[in-house]
Amino acid sequence: MKKKVLSAILSVAMAATLLVGCGSAAEEAPAAATEEAAPAEEAPAEEAEAPAEEEAAPAEEAAAGGGTYAFVSKSAGNPFNERQATGFEEAVADLGGTAIIQHPEAPTADAQITVIQSLISQGVDSICVAANDENALQAALEEAAAAGIKVCSVDSTVNVASRLTHVNQAGVTEIGQCLMDAVYDITGGEGQWAILSATSQAANQNAWIESMKEIQAADSKYANLELVEVAYGDDEPQKSTDQTQALLQNYPDLKVICAPTTVGIAAAAKVLQDQGSSVKLTGLGLPSEMAEYIGDDDAHSCPYMFLWNPIDLGRLGAYTSAALVSGEITGAEGDKFTAGDMGDYEIVKAGDGGTEIILGAPFKFDPSNIEEWKEVY
Amino acid sequence: MEKKSLLKRITGSREASLVIVLIVLCIAVTIKSPNFMSAQNILEILKNNSVIMIMALGMLCVLLIGGIDISITSTLAFAGMTIGMMYKYDKIESTFLGFLIATAMGAVCGLLIGVIIAYGKVMPIIATMGFMYIYRGFAYLVAQDQWAGADALGSFKDFTLSNSLSFGLINNTITVTIICYIIFFIVLKWTKFGRCIYAVGSNAEAAEISGINVAAIKTAVYTIMGTLAGLCGALATSVYASAQPNMQTSKEMDVIAACVIGGVSMNGGRGSVLGALLGALVLSVISKALPLVGINAIAQNTIKGVIIVAVIVLNVLTQRMMDRANLENREM
Amino acid sequence: MAGKSGRTISATPDKSLKKMLLSWEGMLLVLFIAINILCKCISPVYTLTNVLREMPKYLTEIFLLFPMAYILLMGEIDISVGSTVCLAATVACLSSNAGVPFIGVLAIGLITGTVCGMINGFLATKFRELPTMIITLGTQIVFRGIAEIALGDGGSISLTNADGFRMIAGKVGPVPYMFFIVIICAVIFTVIAEKRVFGRNLYAIGSNSRTAFYSGVKVNQMLFISYTVLGLLAGVSALFLTSATYGANTTTGKGFEMDAIAMAVFGGISTAGGKGKLAGGIISAFTITCLRVGLGQINMNPQVILIILGALLICAVLLPNISQSISDKKKKASRA
Repeated sequence: MKKKVLSAILSVAMAATLLVGCGSAAEEAPAAATEEAAPAEEAPAEEAEAPAEEEAAPAEEAAAGGGTYAFVSKSAGNPFNERQATGFEEAVADLGGTAIIQHPEAPTADAQITVIQSLISQGVDSICVAANDENALQAALEEAAAAGIKVCSVDSTVNVASRLTHVNQAGVTEIGQCLMDAVYDITGGEGQWAILSATSQAANQNAWIESMKEIQAADSKYANLELVEVAYGDDEPQKSTDQTQALLQNYPDLKVICAPTTVGIAAAAKVLQDQGSSVKLTGLGLPSEMAEYIGDDDAHSCPYMFLWNPIDLGRLGAYTSAALVSGEITGAEGDKFTAGDMGDYEIVKAGDGGTEIILGAPFKFDPSNIEEWKEVY
Repeated sequence: MEKKSLLKRITGSREASLVIVLIVLCIAVTIKSPNFMSAQNILEILKNNSVIMIMALGMLCVLLIGGIDISITSTLAFAGMTIGMMYKYDKIESTFLGFLIATAMGAVCGLLIGVIIAYGKVMPIIATMGFMYIYRGFAYLVAQDQWAGADALGSFKDFTLSNSLSFGLINNTITVTIICYIIFFIVLKWTKFGRCIYAVGSNAEAAEISGINVAAIKTAVYTIMGTLAGLCGALATSVYASAQPNMQTSKEMDVIAACVIGGVSMNGGRGSVLGALLGALVLSVISKALPLVGINAIAQNTIKGVIIVAVIVLNVLTQRMMDRANLENREM
Repeated sequence: MAGKSGRTISATPDKSLKKMLLSWEGMLLVLFIAINILCKCISPVYTLTNVLREMPKYLTEIFLLFPMAYILLMGEIDISVGSTVCLAATVACLSSNAGVPFIGVLAIGLITGTVCGMINGFLATKFRELPTMIITLGTQIVFRGIAEIALGDGGSISLTNADGFRMIAGKVGPVPYMFFIVIICAVIFTVIAEKRVFGRNLYAIGSNSRTAFYSGVKVNQMLFISYTVLGLLAGVSALFLTSATYGANTTTGKGFEMDAIAMAVFGGISTAGGKGKLAGGIISAFTITCLRVGLGQINMNPQVILIILGALLICAVLLPNISQSISDKKKKASRA
């Protein structure tokens, strides 16, 4: 009995909420105007009709203020992501728009989907996302596209079906080439080397590793280099330490470790430097984290490493979003636009069949410039 | 007769069976990787797992009183991140002060949990689950999306490189671990407080009636756990020369697993410092050995899980055998 | 687990409205309405359509709440369910990509979940001296580990043909299909808990497992069934989750177990067993969902949202305890 009354009250409450909800959604007309966006198939397009209509009101409001541009990072609590967000915010401020920065609660695709759904509700004009999983965001982003939101990815791409274009920090082959040349240079052209990566499913890292392997196989210049193992430290300091120590122990003749991940490279640098090991390190790392380990002498474990400027990456993401929203570009190959004071950029074909915009070549950090950059990020 | 009792003592003690498991594990790894038992390797294992080993002591006490604490790594991150930021922005210089602040923060965090559990009568799993979110959130808020890297930590990170505490004998991290183990061994075995912990865990009502202030003991135990978590926050920051807000996420389960492998009962009242040590060592050896013996990276987690389950099940089976043996003796 | 007062199983429940509103469920209901009003005030886009659209992620967790509540009522726990979701989703995706017809994919997903649940149930009943927390901690690592192996290098799989999954992600008007299934499950599980012998036995086991055993309750059988059902619903959850992600990866379902437990506890179900009602868990699940959606819409820092949820969780248990002890003292004083 008690339960029945309870459920009665529950349903009354639900109904009340329903009324409240419909109050503002009442003007919702069954209009058929869905955006022509991407591969909107029947089901998701239908789903998205309602939000698309609703979205119209806040979007118009926002347009007066220069548009609302959202940025979804990979995870909270990471300076690299934070710098990207800062760059994004700066550029949006220059454009006179409103920036929404969202770091998901956990570094997972699930958490990013929640954030994207919320942004669709808010009727933002564009979403720029650094994806935790290439494919998992597809459904959510298709829904966003159907609601008239311009979607692009930055840093870590989403699949072709989910995006208009991708803002790439540097071409995959370019990064692979840089790292491979560094390994060649530091080893002196021959000997064993190993890779310490993040997790085995990190899309960026896997692409770079794949590209390094291809480059090594393609050129006889690298014939005397032997890649002995790809180890995974899961971006945890403790596991990365275990893995680095295991590499040193299993391969006494090892000459170089290449760690294309910010957590892994710092952990490995610490292990090598503490042990006074003769093994050298290179890869991709944050200057502020790595400043202690970069140096030409034997006391330092890392002669030089690479990264790109996350602030510029964020800024380019913002300018790209704005250009997509204004219709200046559609994300098609050959489109050109001006990214504020960053200069002109052209959309090119990406390796996965979609399109991308490339920020520039990776930046080299060595003893001569590390002091200056460690203050920046 | 003499022989039989020795055999019985070996099969009859959980700790002894764990030592056997540990030895078998080490031998198996050494066959694949001959250098495994080298001095350097053993030191590395101890150093890289000191955080888990120290926190296992606190968890031992918490489990002994029949509680649980899943907020420890959040406390660790909160404390570690806070001092990391202090070094980064040059608020403090001294290494000792860093450890003091982190440990004190841990103590306060633990005290709060203890009060809510002991006096607010909230189930330990719920209270610590709440604080797991809260303290982790604080760590993120303190960090403001920054890390404290090697450069920012200055001389703080040198603490875990030097051997100063033991006058050059052994690494500081390991010294701290050993000191903690000695203290807990003495306290749990020979002091009134230690007896009280066992008493509360075996039967809280009986303990209350016999004049033990159960609530105070519970509060004290969670405060101790927090204190150790805070200490480990400083230690982890120093060992890895890096403070990040997501430090050691979900490692609390490793700590609990270490205790359970070591034969600590989750219903309270049963468990020893030696058991916790052996349990933590088994886990440390597994995580060190998996990459060494060349097991495929993707399969490492599964194998770790299977070994944990196997050891725990083995524990249960030994216990059953012991009980049966005891019954038989009684019949005779 | 002895010595604590269980739910009173009285034949004539108190029907007065006042008593009901003062019950935990009644207060939750008030809170539910209050939170909806609050969200409406702070977020201009907090409309029914939007809430329903953002809800599916949380709905997938609510599936797990029902059997989890049963397990908690018996004084046990399952922290492996997030990994079960991951494994079921992985296997479903793999079979779908291997060309299995969609109906088969659904069956395979459900069976995978059920088998995982049965393994937990088997271990929990065969090794009664081991706390279920530890058993499921082990299986948590193993289930996700197997998924990791199945996913292989890359750790992520995406559906080559998502048509079937698009279908189950469909909606009636603004309401996703999933919502109806959640409601159906809610009704079934509540009726069983409240009106059936099985439900009474749940409370009996939770209050005192040994007494229940000696009075003829098949404790092991009930444990096994509950874990199996949890596995089955984890399969359901996995299928709906896949319909939102068109694939699976190694982080799929991470943290679901904690969210499901938090919903149950916030709803007044004690992790010590024997106390609480499923209705409370269901209201609390929707309350938490609405709060998260609302706060998400004003772009509050997710870490702050987690802090708020953690504090709410503790208060939900702490406040009744405090008011209880105050009223106890008053009673003592008036008696004296």
